[in-house]
Amino acid sequence: MRKKASSVFVMTASILILFILGASYLHITNGVFDMSVMDVIKTLLRIEPNPKFDLVIFEFRLPRIVIAALVGVGLGMAGVVLQGITRNGLADPGILGINAGAGAAVVIFMFFFQLRLVTADMSSWLSILMMPLFGFVGGAIAAILIFSFALKNGHLDMQRLILTGIAINSGFGALSLFLSLKMSAQDYESAAVWMAGSIYNANWIFVVTMLPWLILLGIYVHRKSYLLDYFQLEEDSITSLGIAVEKEKMKLLLASVGLVSACVSVSGSIGFIGLMAPHIAKQLVGIQHRYVMPVSALIGAGLLILADYIGKTVFAPSELAVGIVVSIIGIPYFLYLLVKSKA
Amino acid sequence: MKKTNIMAFSIVAASPFLIVMIALVSVMYGTKDISAITIWQAISAFDPSNVDHQIVRTGRIPRIAAVLLVGAFLAVAGAVMQGITRNYLASPSLMGVNDGSAFVITLAIVFFPGLPNYQMILLSMIGSALGAGIVFGFGSLIRNGLSPVRLAIIGTVIGTFLSSIATAIAMYFQVSQTVSVWYNTKVHMVDMDMLLLAIPFGLIGLVLALLSAKAITITSLGEDIAIGLGQKTTAVKIISMLAVVCLTGTAVALVGKIAFVGLVIPHITRFLVGVDYRFIIPCAAVIGSFFLALCDVLSRFVNFPFETPIGVLTALVGVPFFLYLVRKHGGEKRA
Repeated sequence: MRKKASSVFVMTASILILFILGASYLHITNGVFDMSVMDVIKTLLRIEPNPKFDLVIFEFRLPRIVIAALVGVGLGMAGVVLQGITRNGLADPGILGINAGAGAAVVIFMFFFQLRLVTADMSSWLSILMMPLFGFVGGAIAAILIFSFALKNGHLDMQRLILTGIAINSGFGALSLFLSLKMSAQDYESAAVWMAGSIYNANWIFVVTMLPWLILLGIYVHRKSYLLDYFQLEEDSITSLGIAVEKEKMKLLLASVGLVSACVSVSGSIGFIGLMAPHIAKQLVGIQHRYVMPVSALIGAGLLILADYIGKTVFAPSELAVGIVVSIIGIPYFLYLLVKSKA
Repeated sequence: MKKTNIMAFSIVAASPFLIVMIALVSVMYGTKDISAITIWQAISAFDPSNVDHQIVRTGRIPRIAAVLLVGAFLAVAGAVMQGITRNYLASPSLMGVNDGSAFVITLAIVFFPGLPNYQMILLSMIGSALGAGIVFGFGSLIRNGLSPVRLAIIGTVIGTFLSSIATAIAMYFQVSQTVSVWYNTKVHMVDMDMLLLAIPFGLIGLVLALLSAKAITITSLGEDIAIGLGQKTTAVKIISMLAVVCLTGTAVALVGKIAFVGLVIPHITRFLVGVDYRFIIPCAAVIGSFFLALCDVLSRFVNFPFETPIGVLTALVGVPFFLYLVRKHGGEKRA
């Protein structure tokens, strides 16, 4: 049995990697400036470097694909953790308001440091590296608020959790709007682009910004993912297994807030990936979280690259923010889950 | 006479005073303060070459009129929705009504540019009906879907969906800017023609709401009791939803989406005047007007000399209130 699950996992993961490569292929060859596969390969492998192709690939498309993949991985993993902790399939960092909290904190950061995202250069490295940290504080505040309001007699009430999320979303949304209007025109421009949940101003600095968070916390939640299996049991049974439930839940929650904040600080608020990816992953590899976790991460990456590709090509020459594409795909899925869920 | 009735009558009796006072404050203060004497001259002896007179006539007066109307419309719409669905979280912005209206207006701007104002108001109403129809239709499809919490979730999610689609369409046809001017809060640039048109449409909604007030009180006791008392529940629901559609459609067409007024004010009103909708509806109109006008005045000074969107101020009051309601009532049905 165990062997079977792991072979299913290996096969699913390979197919997903192929899917990601396929989506990346579409993304890198298409755009305002189409190029052939050969051009791309030649440029990437430095066979026949062409400055024009270099610019398009290394400065625009490649960082964007990498960011989309990383954000997808982070949100996919955070979604698994949140759904596991709350024992509810409708949990998602966007719906719960963690995105909005982290987002408001990043806007506050932009406001005080007058950060010009688009022209980020070497001198602003330090401040850019601080961004996820700020996001983390905001996300953690939102998470604490949400959970303290949703806690009833020591138990999480899921409906309250989502409702509180709705309130937190509008509250932090209003705060971000208010601050962004106080900014200078140029800062406002970048804040507005960012708040819509977009990655089209991606650059390598952002990759560096989020990578440490993603690697450290990603490894942590993956190593701890077996705990999520236990959390599906009754509270008493877990305690009798000798697991400090509340402590472990809190650590995992903070880790997922960290993942979300790193994503939000580079891409703005993108909802529904953390909702969809874990569900699809469970359909594919079953309910063991040590398989669900990586598969969900891969699905998140693939979905986000594809959504960004759709956003940039369908609406050319203008670009639709990837967050909106994801909502349009994700909300029908959310409603479908709502219909299916009992009670 | 019961104590709550006295409260209701005193609110209505005090309303002229309250409204005039807040209106005067609203016209007098802003980026440029204007004295009461100048205002009186602008109304009685208008001098087109006087800048202050121009500000009063074309800027401040239409603005306060629009804000007062919209405050009343949204508060009454929220009260009617809460009574008829027995859902303490029902309100235009949470139930996808606002977003439905904005969605249809986006389609209109894309496919039929340059429509006359009254048709825009009608379309806005059709959109409200569409948004409410989808949310309630979906809610009645799924088990327990009309319970307060579930309906709020469905409403929010479908609202987000409609506005995402609207954004995508606007982006595709490259009219984002026109659309965002249309349905983002725009109290500082009220269209005079639209304002004049909004009055009859809104009045129809208010009259419908007042006419069905007694029936709403009975419905709010519970469907079974209402049927037992011989009430035609379907007719009541249709008429009251028509009122909601008229009121919110007009409000969105006039100033855009403003959240939380329709949620918060009915609760405050019920707290003051009790559970009889014949008292709740007129009082909600008064309190809603006053509340939104107050938010509007404050919105000019929070970040002086720049204006803050009025939605930021309504959220400031609305979000804590919403959290309080969720904390207090959880999933139970009542309104």
